[in-house]
Amino acid sequence: MLILSRKRNESIVIDGHITIKIVRVDGDVVKVGIDAPSEVPVHRQEIYDEIQKSNKEALTQKGKKAQPARYSCPNGLPLGPPASRTIFFKDFS
Amino acid sequence: MKTLETPVLETNTIGEDNTVTLPLGLLGFERVKKYVLLSSPDEAPFMWFQVMDDPNLAFLVVSPFVVDPDYSPDISDEDVRFLGLNSPEDALLFNIVTVRGNSTATINLKGPIVINRFTLVGKQVIPDNANQYSVRHELAVE
Repeated sequence: MLILSRKRNESIVIDGHITIKIVRVDGDVVKVGIDAPSEVPVHRQEIYDEIQKSNKEALTQKGKKAQPARYSCPNGLPLGPPASRTIFFKDFS
Repeated sequence: MKTLETPVLETNTIGEDNTVTLPLGLLGFERVKKYVLLSSPDEAPFMWFQVMDDPNLAFLVVSPFVVDPDYSPDISDEDVRFLGLNSPEDALLFNIVTVRGNSTATINLKGPIVINRFTLVGKQVIPDNANQYSVRHELAVE
């Protein structure tokens, strides 16, 4: 692993198009600003790990009898076009 | 005993062409970008998000609102731009279900799949308020 020392407000450039800047250092918390193109996903490691593990567990192979029970929909909602039911964007503009 | 398998039938669900493109893939499946959304009436509200190039592989998905009517992930401005959403009504929302045995299934509320219903381009997003939601939210079983 490449290890670099940086001070507050100093940055690291990766591959010419991703910039990582040390915004604040407060005890053992470091605030990092990341500038990356939208096609480069950036995630907190522990959340990424959790979701990709869940995705791998969920992958279903044809022929595996995975579903012997019926799962109820407590609210009895029809599937519908889901997003029309609610506003789920924060600060949508 | 009811068993579900990746269905061979194809019921159009969201239009003539129900091929969904995830330019970034799903987390852990970054290279798998093309999916087909399949449903059949007797499996509703569950649907299959099937890998286009390998019909043997699919994810069981469901609208999160059948589980939690108040589900309200905060989608970041970056994701809204990435998906080209002009209003919340432009989006379809599905969450992946994991079947864990005869009587347990969980839904991942932490990483919803958001799809622009017009372009059919989607992304598995991590909402800004993801810490409010479980990756293994239990589904009630009848």
